[in-house]
Amino acid sequence: MECVVQGIIETQHVEALEVLLQGLSGVPKERVRVHELCLKSGPNLGVVSSEVRLLCDLAQPTPSWIIRHVGGSMRGTGAEQISILVRTIVESKASNNVLRYFYTIGYKLDHEILKVGFAFRFQRGAQFTVTVTSANKMPKLHATDEAVQVTPGIQLVEITAPCTANNYPDVVSAVTSFCEFLAPLLHLSKPGNSTGIVPTAGAAAASLMSSGGAKTL
Amino acid sequence: MPPAKWLMHWHPNPGATLNSQILAEACGCAESLGGTKDGRWKTSIFFYRPIARETSASGAQQQQQPPDVPRELLGVALHERPGLYFSILRTQRLVLQADAAFPQVMEKLQSYKGRVALNFEGFQYQLGDFCLRIGKCVPNNSETLRGIMMEVEYYPLSSIEKSRAIMVDFFDIWQETLAKKALPGRFIHVESNFAEFGLSDHYSYQHTAVQYAICLQQLMTAVRS
Repeated sequence: MECVVQGIIETQHVEALEVLLQGLSGVPKERVRVHELCLKSGPNLGVVSSEVRLLCDLAQPTPSWIIRHVGGSMRGTGAEQISILVRTIVESKASNNVLRYFYTIGYKLDHEILKVGFAFRFQRGAQFTVTVTSANKMPKLHATDEAVQVTPGIQLVEITAPCTANNYPDVVSAVTSFCEFLAPLLHLSKPGNSTGIVPTAGAAAASLMSSGGAKTL
Repeated sequence: MPPAKWLMHWHPNPGATLNSQILAEACGCAESLGGTKDGRWKTSIFFYRPIARETSASGAQQQQQPPDVPRELLGVALHERPGLYFSILRTQRLVLQADAAFPQVMEKLQSYKGRVALNFEGFQYQLGDFCLRIGKCVPNNSETLRGIMMEVEYYPLSSIEKSRAIMVDFFDIWQETLAKKALPGRFIHVESNFAEFGLSDHYSYQHTAVQYAICLQQLMTAVRS
């Protein structure tokens, strides 16, 4: 399982966000360049239609594939009251022939995307991964070198933290606290419930950049 | 890089039946060659079949066979690498290496269902530069003997080509020793065409997974005939 929140930020404020994340996490940023393929099951295969994602971080010295299944989100009154999505995730590493494998067993490519940006991975009451990426589409199949931005002025911010059925309230609490630090720059909410950019972002970014960022915290 | 390995299966003589005495004799043979028993091992193979979606046509529930999908997937969990999992499409000559969470992904997708599991299990012997594993093949939920097989591993070499001569020599000695027991059958090594699966001369765990898939096919054929 994992806790997840997403938000968007204007590209002009990404540098300030990076300074803030650097100060909060105390770890160096990692470059990410993730090629993500979304596959869907073909007609008549499976109890219900299913979807699987294949991810490959091309920024790694030796890029390798990960199979990712995003499951249903937690339901119920308790889940509705929190501003963070808790959902099941199953991941497995896979060899380089994974795309051919899924094509052969009856899955078809629905869409592909290249996410380019950076990530911070750190421990802060939970194991956080914060990614700031721009979405890029490929003009030709798998042509990652020719990818062009989908929304040039906007980047996606995503915070994820693994959790279990037993500890998710603690992880939700840790993620909620962390989101508050970022609130002047961006608003984070459950995926699909985007609340847009925040009006204070410009001022907050200017303040962060002029005061040396992390030192003010 | 793991050492080169051969898998052999027991081929009973026409009319002869499988029994655990053959397994005991083969283990005795390993000991008579100077092998020292140093533990147990277990490799498992899982069979998956596609699940057809139920569609409602003219008010009646119908099941249509999914078009152009393999009739069977094999999952292999090797004793020597419990963190890995292999999925094999025999007809398409494809072996996927994944990690132990892969069966959970398949379970979530609900497009293929695990039907039967077969276990290959037995004893392991150290014999100089060789490691021998002799075992039986039994269904997960019963003790019905489906086959007998062995693994021979040669520690110093990872190249299949370079290890071939020494494997052949070892196999000859093994067959000679076993022949003295006058058992109703013999061990057979069927060479797998690794290149068809896109695998190189350097031995890997994927080679072992492919050998298990081939060995299983041979065992099933031997039992049927």
